[in-house]
Amino acid sequence: MAVTEERQAPDAPDWHEELENVGLVRRIFQARRWYKADWWFVVISSVAVAGFFIVAIFPQWFAPHDPREEVGARVLAPGEAPAFEVFMVPAGSQVAGLADMATGERESFGVVVGEPTSDVARDEVERLNEEGLTGDERLRLGLERFDDLPEMLTALSAGELVAAGAASDQVDLVIDDFPEVEVVGSIAEGDEGAGQSFLLGTNQLGQDMLSRIIWGTRIAFLIGFASAVFAIVIGVPLGLLAGFAGGKLDRGMSIIMDSLYAFPGLILAIAIAAVLGPSVFNVIVAIAVLYIPTYFRIVRGQTLSAKEELYVEAARSLGAKSTVILRRYIFPNVIPSVAIIFSVNVADAILTGAGLSFLGIGLPPDTPDWGIDLARGQQSIQTAWWLVTFPGIAVMLVVLSFTMMGEGLVEIFNPKLRER
Amino acid sequence: MHPLALLFLVLGVPALLALVYIFLRGSESLRRYILVRIALTLPMVLILGTMVFVVLRIVPGDPVTSNLGPKGTPELRERLTEQLGLNEPLIVQYGEFLLDIVTLDFGEALTSGGRPIVDELGERLPATLELVIPATILALILGIIPGTIAAVRRRKPTDYSLRMYSVIVYSMPIFWLGQLLQLFFGVHLGWLPVAGRIDPIIGSTLERTTNLLLIDSILEANWSALWSVLEHLVLPSFTLALILSGVFLRLTRINVIETLQQDYITASRARGIRERVVVYQHALKNAMIPVITLIGLQVAILLAGAVLTESVFSWPGMGRYLVDRIGLRDYTAVQSVITMFALLVALVSLAVDIIYSLLDPRVKY
Amino acid sequence: MYGEEPISRERVVMGEPVRTGDVLFSLRDVSVDYATRAGAVKAVDRVSLDIRKGEILGLVGESGCGKSTLGKAMLRMIQPPGEITEGQMIFDGTDLMTLNSRRMRELRGARLGMVFQDPMTSLDPLQKIVDHLTETVMTHEPSTSEAAARDRAEQLVSRLGLREERIDDYPHQFSGGMRQRIMIALALALRADLVIADEPTTALDVIVEAQFLDLLRELRAEFDLTIVLITHNIGVVAEVADRVAVMYAGRMVEVAGVDGLFLDTKHPYGQGLLKAVPNIQLADAELYQMEGSPPNLLRPPPGCSFHPRCPSEMPICSSVEPSLRAVDQDHLAACWLYEDHPEKRVPVEVAHD
Repeated sequence: MAVTEERQAPDAPDWHEELENVGLVRRIFQARRWYKADWWFVVISSVAVAGFFIVAIFPQWFAPHDPREEVGARVLAPGEAPAFEVFMVPAGSQVAGLADMATGERESFGVVVGEPTSDVARDEVERLNEEGLTGDERLRLGLERFDDLPEMLTALSAGELVAAGAASDQVDLVIDDFPEVEVVGSIAEGDEGAGQSFLLGTNQLGQDMLSRIIWGTRIAFLIGFASAVFAIVIGVPLGLLAGFAGGKLDRGMSIIMDSLYAFPGLILAIAIAAVLGPSVFNVIVAIAVLYIPTYFRIVRGQTLSAKEELYVEAARSLGAKSTVILRRYIFPNVIPSVAIIFSVNVADAILTGAGLSFLGIGLPPDTPDWGIDLARGQQSIQTAWWLVTFPGIAVMLVVLSFTMMGEGLVEIFNPKLRER
Repeated sequence: MHPLALLFLVLGVPALLALVYIFLRGSESLRRYILVRIALTLPMVLILGTMVFVVLRIVPGDPVTSNLGPKGTPELRERLTEQLGLNEPLIVQYGEFLLDIVTLDFGEALTSGGRPIVDELGERLPATLELVIPATILALILGIIPGTIAAVRRRKPTDYSLRMYSVIVYSMPIFWLGQLLQLFFGVHLGWLPVAGRIDPIIGSTLERTTNLLLIDSILEANWSALWSVLEHLVLPSFTLALILSGVFLRLTRINVIETLQQDYITASRARGIRERVVVYQHALKNAMIPVITLIGLQVAILLAGAVLTESVFSWPGMGRYLVDRIGLRDYTAVQSVITMFALLVALVSLAVDIIYSLLDPRVKY
Repeated sequence: MYGEEPISRERVVMGEPVRTGDVLFSLRDVSVDYATRAGAVKAVDRVSLDIRKGEILGLVGESGCGKSTLGKAMLRMIQPPGEITEGQMIFDGTDLMTLNSRRMRELRGARLGMVFQDPMTSLDPLQKIVDHLTETVMTHEPSTSEAAARDRAEQLVSRLGLREERIDDYPHQFSGGMRQRIMIALALALRADLVIADEPTTALDVIVEAQFLDLLRELRAEFDLTIVLITHNIGVVAEVADRVAVMYAGRMVEVAGVDGLFLDTKHPYGQGLLKAVPNIQLADAELYQMEGSPPNLLRPPPGCSFHPRCPSEMPICSSVEPSLRAVDQDHLAACWLYEDHPEKRVPVEVAHD
């Protein structure tokens, strides 16, 4: 008999055996090998959701300003500093500011028609005179009005004026064409550099967009979570009841829930919110009503199939009461589905809430809310792109995090979709 | 002829013809099924209408007070109450409400000159339909085909990127997407208009018969009007279509994946049938059955999206009308519009069921 | 015989025609691995098997032993994450592993057929029966006209005991037994040489099962078929098979003629299987049960995979794997009881407790 070649058992990886014995954290990390991309989905989105959650609970830590306060110039682009009035003189002039023009005579000072320069100059003149900063002589200005800035600068170059003033952003555009004009500083003391720029700009009311967006997180989360929880609290028990009890009760409830489910959610929410009146609570109720049928249907379906399971029949034959069966056998089966729907639900609720406030329904108008911001932004969409872009990105990121979490959980928990 | 009636004719006649054809060709049991299904539509509309009624009447919020505000003198209030029929017992109100639905008598708008609401709807409903139908067709194309591809190339980069696409698109508020498209194509590039259905000047040259402007302009051979309508249609319908396509993609993908795991697919391969035939004929046909039903359920998302899209693009459809009327506290109009929506939903649901019964030979009538 | 005239076909011709009794399909050291999240599972572990023309070969084993996987592997129908990692499969002179997917597809259905376990789900619910058949025929023989294909379908169907006029019906209108006949019809539509039946009667009741087996025997003679019958039911095998191959934990442990296997089982696993069959005539009420349970295929036991449960275990069994070799006339077994090895110094049988 020929000697057969020896075959030893191949070395299988050891770590999978340890899996039973490690704690939750290590299990989470080892799960990465199993689920690959879906693992990343769930983990990244969970971290994001946690982050947003913190922002939602403590917006005051993150927001630089109060969202309702007018903190800056209106409709400022991101990073743009508001224009201020500059003080200009012919090159080489000794005049360095308004104070230097206190010669007792009326010195000619140029302003452009329609600009606030004259008011700013007048206020500053008054201030200088009252505080006695002009030396022995009073400061008196003779305002020379010009139709446009280049005209004025030409006159200034030619020495026809002692000094002139105009808006900084306007001046920046044309100053290179006038080498004989020197920009000395701002008309009003301390104006220069005092105009604040904002990271994400300001809206039509001068409110800081960054702060509004950060505070908007709170409302979004509030509406999203509260309405989802509300819907669960009502929908899940009803579903359990209908599925378990069956018969006419089930049929009656199902017809109502199915009709409700088929109806366009937003429209129903609009109707309810509009009738109930503008308040956060009413919005939550309106949106919750939308999702009750979803939980009802899923829970009812699960209850129906769980009811048919052999172990339930066995329990019943042993004399277990209905409540016990519900609690111990059916309810635990229902939880995973509810959890997955919850994350998608919150995402959807935030979207619906934004939609409602975009349409001007439900929330009081001064609430810092993304939908309201987007509605306001719509009005100035031709000129102020940032009013629309940033609140929208905020909505998208938050909703995306919840959706990704739900998606990842579905792939991981759904046995039907696993590879065979 | 009343525009609303004309609209129903234009849309209803082909549907009715199809129904009659199916009726005549089908078996005895199929006929019974169709009749029963049509009969079941009525309770659905009733339930929805009743819910609308309940919401608007029983829930706190008095339309008369909201309407007249503090300025309402007692006489005015009494007149308005009587006009709205609010002084009658609830049962009577309900009965009248039901009667109104059946006769399509929606009453008059509370403000803006008391215009008969039916007329308003006659203009607005076609506008909404003209937005929604092209959007749905686009969404089907953009959703089903990539969804199938994603299912076939499962767990490869194509699948993941398509899933990312659908998730991202789903997470965007639809009105924001519309605004972004407006910003880019309208403001930045200036290629397309951002509001309305048709250029106002050209619009005045077009006579509205059905109020489906595409059809009207073709009927009159008014080509500049047709072009303008198409131009205005691009951004809004695309916005709606993109959002919907995300949903359709996911539905198709999941159902095709499940179908591909079925035994008969393996059995077909074991007989040497070409892979392309197996997937794109056998698997896809089977997968389409649940997909169609699910898509039919998405009509809710479609209509909700339409409301928001109409707001962004100032599209004069039913959605915008609803929002405007709510702002004006015009409850009669709000009630009518919502009932209209309910009717639409019920009709689509009916159509989907009938189509499903035709496609799946296993359905027992 | 179905059809009066010889039917011309475009066949994939490979090698010389095989006569009855010759080896039609030969598996040599075939392995199939599945990549799972916990590691690679060897579902089929270096299996060698010769299938002779004209025979009914029963392939038996418990659930999870790899017999179904082997069946699918023979048609190269293993899908990822599974993969045929080694071995040759020689059919009619050509190693199937060397064929490209197009050629393999041409073979499937035309010369190699498969009948699946669950008749309720093996047919496309949206396709009429006649379309199932004509599609198969026209895919492999494109020159056939629709009418001719339909004719063939009608003849096949009636030969298999179904009423001709029913071919325009849909699968859901047939019972389980009838659907299995349709599956056979599909396998026969192109007069396949080898039909692999994967648990064909598991979903059928006993009476239908008996009819089915009778049918198999008739068809084997009439159509010149070779059948591999995969089942966990040894009763079925005893009934129809000519030879039997027993698998355990992905490995082939015994191959013999049906009489040889049942009357003189060599491998302890086979012995255990037969002892476990309830015999109503025995007064003894207690049922025999083999100790232990099937091994974890992720970490198979070293040496012989059956040794933890074997009543005849020897020291060598846990270190070196036995190979499948002839222990008697036309009787192969993989067991150290019948094989010598230098390590096998102590012949004392260690009782396994």
